[in-house]
Amino acid sequence: MVNKSAQMKNKKIFQLPNKKNGQGMKSKISPASPFAKKAQMKIQQMSFMLIAVFLFFALVGMIIITVKFSGLKQDATDLRDRNAMLLASKLANSPEFSCGEVYGNQKTDCIDEDKVMALKENIGKYENVGKNTNFWGVSNIEIRRIYPKYENITCTPVNYPKCDTIILIDKPISGFDHSNFVALCRKEKYKDEVVNKCEMARVILWYEEVK
Amino acid sequence: MMKILRKKIKGQEEMVGFALIIILVAIIFLVFLSVYVKKPQSENIDNPEANSFVQSFLQYTTTCEQDSENITIQRLISKCQERIPCSNKDPCIILNNTIKSIINESWKVGPTSYVKGYSLIINVGDKQFLNVTKGVVTNNYKIGQQDIPNPKEESTLVLFYAYT
Repeated sequence: MVNKSAQMKNKKIFQLPNKKNGQGMKSKISPASPFAKKAQMKIQQMSFMLIAVFLFFALVGMIIITVKFSGLKQDATDLRDRNAMLLASKLANSPEFSCGEVYGNQKTDCIDEDKVMALKENIGKYENVGKNTNFWGVSNIEIRRIYPKYENITCTPVNYPKCDTIILIDKPISGFDHSNFVALCRKEKYKDEVVNKCEMARVILWYEEVK
Repeated sequence: MMKILRKKIKGQEEMVGFALIIILVAIIFLVFLSVYVKKPQSENIDNPEANSFVQSFLQYTTTCEQDSENITIQRLISKCQERIPCSNKDPCIILNNTIKSIINESWKVGPTSYVKGYSLIINVGDKQFLNVTKGVVTNNYKIGQQDIPNPKEESTLVLFYAYT
């Protein structure tokens, strides 16, 4: 009796739905038959294979994504540095710093040293303008002569122009910096004539560390 | 006997299927790998720092005198091409010395520093007019360039490579 009821239950499991009247249809293959066991094995094999293939692709995909993202991080760093350098150039070409047409034609990456010294004396007017600490949104601006050099002397109205570094904002320098090359030009008296003199310098922008 | 033969054939079929899947996966992997390898590691495009350097150094006032005024490197290049002396001095010697001094002070080259070497090349038309190279030449570089048009002669192209 027990065996018969078990067989009946198994038969119910293998009943396929009948589309016409909604009743099940009896399967021709018995679950106890060796064909059913073989089919189960095949399904198992296939599922294992599918899992293996899926895992392989997932692994390859993860490796590719990792490689791509590492490159993206480098690109982002390069772009940030590039923008910072362009900002240094932008500052050099702003009206407060640029040579304009005083030294001949309009020049790019050219800073008027005489103008910067005058600006240094009036830097207080540019403090607390806008959201940031000053008009340019940087913590400090430094212009350092690189060729020729005068023993690393900080510029004051007394020793100018025989000095190397013009520190625009008189605050302790902290945080990180970005710099770019500029031509530092001024007017000079030479053989009773006023002539242009341009030298090599670096404009250094200091930013506060974001905490 | 027939059963054993059938089993053998089935086993062979499965092995062929497995091998086909492995070959397919290997081909896909190779395609991905080739695409990744073909992609250039870094593009050497115009760099703002190298460009600003070229712009600035062309404006540098040299020791070469003309009409009681010291001329810039940009004008000294054309003077050197034309071999017009400046106050009895050879303009090309002044140009060469000035360029070397400026680059030495601007780009610190060494095995431990970020910049491994540099090249400054001045081309007049198709011909190379000046070449100042120092340090190691690598495949990664920052490039800055400026074209100086000359209505009378061929235009001058100033190229600067900072090898990293």
